[in-house]
This record gives sequence, structure tokens and C-alpha cells, in this order.
Amino acid sequence: MRIPDEERALVRAAKSGDQDAFSGLVRLHQRRAYLVARAIVTVHEDAEDALQDGFVRAFQALDRFDPAQSFGAWLNKIVANAALDLTRRRKVRNTEELTDALRSPFRDPAESAELSERLTAALATLAERPRSVIVLHDVEGYTHVEIGEMLGIPGGTARSDLHHARLKLRELLKDLRG
Amino acid sequence: MADELKFPDSFERRGERDKDALDNRTARAIRSAYRPPVARGEGENAYWSTLERRIMARVASAGVPYNDQGWLSVLGGWAQVGLVAAAALFAVAGVVSDRFDEPDEQVAYESVVHTSPEVYSTPAQIILASDKSGQRDAALQYVLSY
Repeated sequence: MRIPDEERALVRAAKSGDQDAFSGLVRLHQRRAYLVARAIVTVHEDAEDALQDGFVRAFQALDRFDPAQSFGAWLNKIVANAALDLTRRRKVRNTEELTDALRSPFRDPAESAELSERLTAALATLAERPRSVIVLHDVEGYTHVEIGEMLGIPGGTARSDLHHARLKLRELLKDLRG
Repeated sequence: MADELKFPDSFERRGERDKDALDNRTARAIRSAYRPPVARGEGENAYWSTLERRIMARVASAGVPYNDQGWLSVLGGWAQVGLVAAAALFAVAGVVSDRFDEPDEQVAYESVVHTSPEVYSTPAQIILASDKSGQRDAALQYVLSY
């Protein structure tokens, strides 16, 4: 994998304690890292918390980062860990609200807000890991191996989770298809 | 603008798509649903700039990585000084104790090594002899008394 010169320079400077350089790395990677966190925790506020925790952890572990690696992949793994820690701390989830959203009659498939709401509700009925896997794979385009590394599971498990998550999601959203 | 900021479609970027994957419309809708909510009148770039500042504030307050200072960093400043002082005191006490203990040990060792065996064996033989003669005398007196 080719690492952009800009990123390499920022990593080098950040490793020597330059916070402005680290800020540059935040600017480069926060959007994708946010999506990784959001795929795992689903709630926006939790995704922001996990993202901030992840960047702080990454800053503190910079001396252990190998500059030959991709900073983004390393960061995503740390952010995913922070998100998983957060979900472990917040096991209580308001499933009632989500179930209501799923049951609500679907008015117009072209209405994107309605579609988003139905999708979000359907995703929320999946278990945490398959939901993270399907979003990271089918929406964000990460490979099974990359997802396995982020979530700390074998690539084969990610593949199996993906298969089951797709089946369930298709069943839940069958009235949207066609 | 860097590639990461353009927010490209992941599959366009990778140039591949799993045939069994969710259709494009669903994938885009999920991505849209998982976008951070942007306040009215605030552009998406403004949101990311604000978030970047918040992240950097957290990073700045977290301070220097612990790893730079090694395992000692888990202790507070005074605890570190105390620990170092205690270690130095322990080392000094060890050296002093060694110095004081040495002559005693030497004297004890020499007293054992250089003492003639007769000093201990003679009284032991005398005691044994006196014990045996005492028993013999008592037996003789008992026999003679009949």
C-alpha cells in the first residue's frame, strides 16, 4: 500500500510530539473513522465519543506506530476498539423506540428520510457484530480481513456474520424492494 | 483536498463489488443515515472543523503519552520521588548491614574452624565415662547388698 507523502510527514512530526501535525492527521482521517465508529455504536453521540477516545488513544500510542503501515488502518482499529468498549459499557438500549420505527407503515420509497429511518431501525434489530460487519463491508467497502482486524474476529467469522446479516436485513426490508 | 476528505464511494475506490451485497440504493441510504447530523445553517465542513477542535482539545488535555516516561509515569510526581528515595535508602541500608555483619560472621566461623576437637571430645568422654562408672557402681552395690 502506498502511503501519501503528506501523511508520512504528518506522522513523523506527530511522533515527535507536534500536535499541529496530529491535527492534520485528524483532519485527514476523522470522516472515515467516524463511520467505523458509527457502524459499531449506531448512535451519533456515541460515535463522536468513540472517535474522540480513539484519537486520544492513537496519540498516546504513536510511539508504537510503525510508519511503514497505513495510519488510517491503524487508527480505524483503535477507533473500532474504543467503539466496542463503549458498547460494552452501554449495553442498555432503547429497543422499544426502534421496534416502533420498524412497524411504522412505509409511505413512499422515494422519500429518503423515511427510507433512512426504516433502514436505521432494521439495522438496529441486528446484533452488534453482524450490523457492524454489514455496514463496514457493504456500505464502507472494507474487506473481511480488514473488518476482522478492526473487530478482533477471524475473517471467516466476519464473512459468516455478513451472510446472516444480509439475509435478516433483506427479510426486514422486503417491502422496500422491487 | 485529500482523498479521505472527498468521502468517495468505497466500491468505486476499490473497483469491486460483491454480487450478494446490498444494492446501491440501500447502501447509500445507510451511509446517508449514518452521516453526522449537521445543524441548520452549518455546512458539513464546519461540523468537521468543530469536531477536529474538540478532538484536539481532548488530545491536549490527555498530555504527553505515558510511554514516553515508562512505567514510572503511572505514579504521581511525589510518589515517584518517594519511590526513588526509598530505593536509595534500601540500597544504603543493605551496604551498611553487610559491613556490620561481616566481622561477626568471621569470628563465628573462625571459632568453629580453629577450635581443637579435643576441647569438645574430652568432656564428652569424661561425662560418658562417669555415667558408665556410676551405673557399674550402683549395680555392684545392689549385688553386694544381697
